[in-house]
Amino acid sequence: MKINKKIIEELVGYLKEFNLSEIDYTEGSSRVKVSRSINNSNIIDSENKIIKSKIADVDESGSKITSPIVGTAYLAAEPGGKKFIDINQKIKKGQTIMIVEAMKTMNHVPSTQDGVVSKILVKDGEPVEFGQTLILLK
Amino acid sequence: MFKKILVANRGEIAVRIIRACKEWGISTVAVHSDVDKDSMHVRLADESICIGSHQPQNSYLNISALMSAVDVTGAEAIHPGYGFLSENAHFAEIVTKHGVKFIGPSSELIKKMGDKVEAKKIAKENGLPIIEGSDGEVISISDAKKVCDKIGYPVLIKAAGGGGGKGMKIVTKYEELNDLFSMAKLEAKKYFNNDKLYIEKYFKNPRHIEVQVLSGKNRTVHLNERDCSVQRNHQKLIEETPSPIIDEKIRSDLLNKTVKMVEKIGYEGAGTVEYIYENGKFYFLEMNTRVQVEHPVTEMATGIDIVKEQIWIANKGDTALTQEDIKPRGHVIECRINAEDPSKNFQPSPGIIKVCHQPSGFRTRVDGAIFQGCKITPFYDSLICKLICQGRNRTEAIQRMLRALDEFVIEGITTTIDLHKKILKNSKFINSDFDVNWLSKESFY
Repeated sequence: MKINKKIIEELVGYLKEFNLSEIDYTEGSSRVKVSRSINNSNIIDSENKIIKSKIADVDESGSKITSPIVGTAYLAAEPGGKKFIDINQKIKKGQTIMIVEAMKTMNHVPSTQDGVVSKILVKDGEPVEFGQTLILLK
Repeated sequence: MFKKILVANRGEIAVRIIRACKEWGISTVAVHSDVDKDSMHVRLADESICIGSHQPQNSYLNISALMSAVDVTGAEAIHPGYGFLSENAHFAEIVTKHGVKFIGPSSELIKKMGDKVEAKKIAKENGLPIIEGSDGEVISISDAKKVCDKIGYPVLIKAAGGGGGKGMKIVTKYEELNDLFSMAKLEAKKYFNNDKLYIEKYFKNPRHIEVQVLSGKNRTVHLNERDCSVQRNHQKLIEETPSPIIDEKIRSDLLNKTVKMVEKIGYEGAGTVEYIYENGKFYFLEMNTRVQVEHPVTEMATGIDIVKEQIWIANKGDTALTQEDIKPRGHVIECRINAEDPSKNFQPSPGIIKVCHQPSGFRTRVDGAIFQGCKITPFYDSLICKLICQGRNRTEAIQRMLRALDEFVIEGITTTIDLHKKILKNSKFINSDFDVNWLSKESFY
């Protein structure tokens, strides 16, 4: 069998271009499989960059209330229920602004100060990180 | 025997089931959420399928996705493990209707025993003592108030569809009733998709004792009791067998009554009947119609592989075991290793395990799903592995457990390992002078 170098070169090019680890290509009776190992840390790094840039995009003027724990954020006490807070709502220090669920534990997140809600930065059911800004107060 | 089983769970129990299947020569299908793609159960199974996103309702509780996975892989049976859909009668019914074997009792029995109100009725009818409380479901706050006034505070609000301490609230006075009742309803709805609640008298200093059974169409055998009285927030932390506090007379009464009840209801598979024990008397609490977290305690004492027996019964209908086969030996203790910080009121501690060295040695068993570099996400239960040690007697079991805990190294996240060392050295634990509320009262940090 004659090996078609060109095809291999082309496939390797695609591996890099699309950041793939393997391509299995069949044409007629010939089949070519190319693979490479991907350094996972690069992927994690780029994910982190995306998260960081996402956070940086947000105009965070005003007071921030951050998540005390990593988990899943819920804006209401029950699915479809009334939200703890709304935009432009006046809230008091200690008032629950949302629930962050971690390992099946419901953690009520209290506001750390009095203020008016100017922005809610997370969606219902969205994963949140430790220290991530949840809402902004003006 | 089955050729292929789908394991509808994750974490250490999924690994435990896959191991049992492998030993029976059964091929395995793992299902997983997107965030679990690199987890241990996925790596150990012969095939794996992603069934949805991180939230349990989208993946491990997603019945249609699970049934599609069965279709795609051609699995003949589903093992539900514990938690998630393991005690969901609707799921068992759908599985059965699709001509797939649900490894567990019939959906009718799951429904009956899963409804704690109904289960209490059945227990009473079959000669088991029960706890004073509401006569069935409590729907409104005003009804709840009436029940509480009648039996007196403190009371315990429990989820009819619940277990594992979720949706359970202690109410010490009327003023707390409103808030705790709504919170219990919310948690019950979220975790069990059933917001039916009931109320029971709250015991101040009880022990938690349970009886493991294996039951086929032909007979029911018990595998002795477990004492699970070291608890935090109503969740077991340390379990042991035999119970150090019951005498032979109470033990044989407890075991006989349990077997009689389980046999009478026509139960099939592995199950556990749980009791509250206080002042020399036991009261029926609930029956778990599935394998339990602490089953290895019994396995080590009896030498019986409960998960393999479960699969056998599901396949053959009968149990091959007789009561004479059950000869427990020595004393066994299990410590649950959770990703949480006991010094901060058991706050969850997700993260990446940077260093992981698991203990081994004589009569030392680790059931887990952790490895160096694995990520403990905040989306699921905090239990990451279990350490089980056997000794000729309780003293030796404690010594061995302390030795094994000393060997255990987990870095990157905070775990309950350090707390276990403190508990096992505490004179109250050594003298077995504690109840289910002990941990919350004792200060270890």
